[in-house]
Amino acid sequence: MSSSPTAEQLHAEFAALYPPAPVAEKPAPAPEPAPVAPAATPDASGAPVAPAPKPAAPKAPVGPILQTEPPFGATAVDFAARGFHLDLSIPAADVVSVAERLYRHEFSLDTMTGVDWMKLNQMEVVYDFVHFTTNLHVVVRCRVPRDNPELATISSVFQGALWHERETHDFFGIRFLGHPNLVPFLLPEDATYHPLRKDFAGASD
Amino acid sequence: MDPQTGCSQNQPGLKLPAGPVSDEIPPDLAGLVRFAKLDEIIALSRANSLWPLTFGLACCAIEMMASGMARWDLSRFGAEVFRPSPRQADLMIVAGTVNKKMAPAIKTLYDQMPEPKWVIAMGNCAISGGPFVYPGQYAVVEGVDKLFPVDVYVPGCPPRPEALIEGILELEEKLTGTRRWPRVETQ
Amino acid sequence: MLLTKEQALARSTHSVGGPNETFVLNLGPQHPATHGVLRVKLTMDGEFIQRAEPVCGYIHRMHEKMGENRNYSQFLPNTSRLDYLSAMQYTHAWVGVVEKACKIEVPERAEYIRVITSELNRIASHLVGWGAWVMDLGGFTPILYAFDDREKILDLLEGICGARLTFCYYRFGGVVNDVDAAFLQGTKDFVPYMRERMKMYKKLVTGNIILRKRIEGIGMISQDMCRRYGACGPVLRGSGIQHDVRRAEPYSIYHKFDYEIPVYHECDSMARYLVRMDEIEQSLRIIEQALATFPEGPFVNPKVPKFVKVPAGDYTYATEAARGRFMVRLVADGSDTPYRVKLRTPCLANLSLFEEACAGMLLPDALAFMGSLDLVIPDIDR
Repeated sequence: MSSSPTAEQLHAEFAALYPPAPVAEKPAPAPEPAPVAPAATPDASGAPVAPAPKPAAPKAPVGPILQTEPPFGATAVDFAARGFHLDLSIPAADVVSVAERLYRHEFSLDTMTGVDWMKLNQMEVVYDFVHFTTNLHVVVRCRVPRDNPELATISSVFQGALWHERETHDFFGIRFLGHPNLVPFLLPEDATYHPLRKDFAGASD
Repeated sequence: MDPQTGCSQNQPGLKLPAGPVSDEIPPDLAGLVRFAKLDEIIALSRANSLWPLTFGLACCAIEMMASGMARWDLSRFGAEVFRPSPRQADLMIVAGTVNKKMAPAIKTLYDQMPEPKWVIAMGNCAISGGPFVYPGQYAVVEGVDKLFPVDVYVPGCPPRPEALIEGILELEEKLTGTRRWPRVETQ
Repeated sequence: MLLTKEQALARSTHSVGGPNETFVLNLGPQHPATHGVLRVKLTMDGEFIQRAEPVCGYIHRMHEKMGENRNYSQFLPNTSRLDYLSAMQYTHAWVGVVEKACKIEVPERAEYIRVITSELNRIASHLVGWGAWVMDLGGFTPILYAFDDREKILDLLEGICGARLTFCYYRFGGVVNDVDAAFLQGTKDFVPYMRERMKMYKKLVTGNIILRKRIEGIGMISQDMCRRYGACGPVLRGSGIQHDVRRAEPYSIYHKFDYEIPVYHECDSMARYLVRMDEIEQSLRIIEQALATFPEGPFVNPKVPKFVKVPAGDYTYATEAARGRFMVRLVADGSDTPYRVKLRTPCLANLSLFEEACAGMLLPDALAFMGSLDLVIPDIDR
């Protein structure tokens, strides 16, 4: 395994692992029409390791807002237009194995954050990875159900995630299973609110 | 002290005239001698040696540092002795945003400073929360005067060093009742 | 002679609680050496640190939340209050991400102005970091010189944008004011002046035996550690990784200039010190070249609408700020307000390795090491 892969090699590697959903399937009615079922997305403690099909069909478009899920699997992206090379949408259960794979490729954890997709009833966790010699940027996303946002910590691979995960937990209430010290990071020690959730209505005090 | 002359016994000193002591200054000494209440002398001393607490919060702290440096030279006004310990300081310059996590700490610092003590709220954040106030905000204390009394408000985001110096002159005026430096009138 | 931890422990067996007695020492949030409101909870074994746990959030100012409830232009002032010492590069990342998403053309003159002002700001920032760090180590004089030179830069920048510190000078598609002849002449004069000063600084500080003894070999950061924590900027380049966003993902017009990325392989605090000093000289080189080919033309794209609307999607844009890689991740929903703004700040990444790097270190060395990270606390807490 080369430690400094090119963008194409990386794309091929991850596309083999996570084949993109066939385009023709999209307009057809999704096999699971109930998007609220939490079992639709493999949760972090669950067994499904094999890349599951796209968990839930998007609801009817809600206005002009970007309220659809990203295409599953690895997508090559134009760096000049978006700022990264590879967009990787994976099941939440695979996040540690993907992090390990990127660590072996000598990637560095740039940052991570969450996005609250309230209308889809989902939380997205976004990891940015950067390579210091090839300057490749890989974005890894996984979606978790909004009412029970949980996924495994990657802090055993990238210790920088210790703080990023605490911050994401502060802001969104996403729990990182296995995190050694998931206490408020930027918010006060006794904070119970998650201000960057879209339904946040001000701190109580 | 010699009870007869009012002078130290070690030195010959001046002989005071007999009779009740007069408040009048002899005309030949008028240019040299001033009488003042002890309070006023102490206030003058305090005003000319304010010791600020070394306490920077955010952007304004850099301008506070700049005020102490060679170009703006806060030591012209005797206020350059920044003390790292609140026990040694008598002026707290709140230079930056105070948020709810910091508020107990800053209140403790204020309480630890010995009396008499003064507070300058430097910058819009310390005055009112500044640009970080919006309906539903969750972090910022909207003005440090919600925590303890403030003597001088210095607006700006951040205030220039001249503004901080003006704030210190203003505080001096509050202490002594007179202004050390002529006010620059704006048209 | 510096004792190792084992030697020191062996000597201190007669102490009250024996060699395993530890105590907790609280540093900050008001402490002159933490440069702001950083707090570190230290578990101490005598003078040695067993564990140093930074506690952040004492200046959390909701920048990311504010990004979601104001429109794209209204967020501009926020970007200059994150790392107020390198406000230009931060604003650059914000206007850059919007320009990239909306495909806004930036006139060449505006790009030149951005490069010159960014580099001037970088020099000013390094001067503050240098002066404050040396002051932490006990030398008061250098910060007086540093601020004196910094004031010269601030005079130039104040002349074109009116602010001394929190510049909000860039706009979508250009800059807010054109530069005048006085700025160009002043910058031209500043370059040789600063070069002379750098020689003096090297004599005064860099070769100083007290400084070298304090920071050489202190605060080792390995390359693997940089990768695991995502370190950036001079911290990364002091560990022998030649990565600079200006070179790695050339934004603006940095590809036009000839400059070097200083890199040192010692991995210690001195290496980071030297990287910063070299960067000042490289910034002067960039400024000199930009002034030599400074073009005429418009300074802002007049076709940019007052309220920009960013097409739906997510975009990232990174700039090399004085402390390292600053990246904005923007999730847009097609309206005039961002859906999510993530600010990836260099100081957060650089401080996150502090706990691992200073285990077993002496307390005064840890403060010297903290100075080498050149932290700006509101940049961590956002």
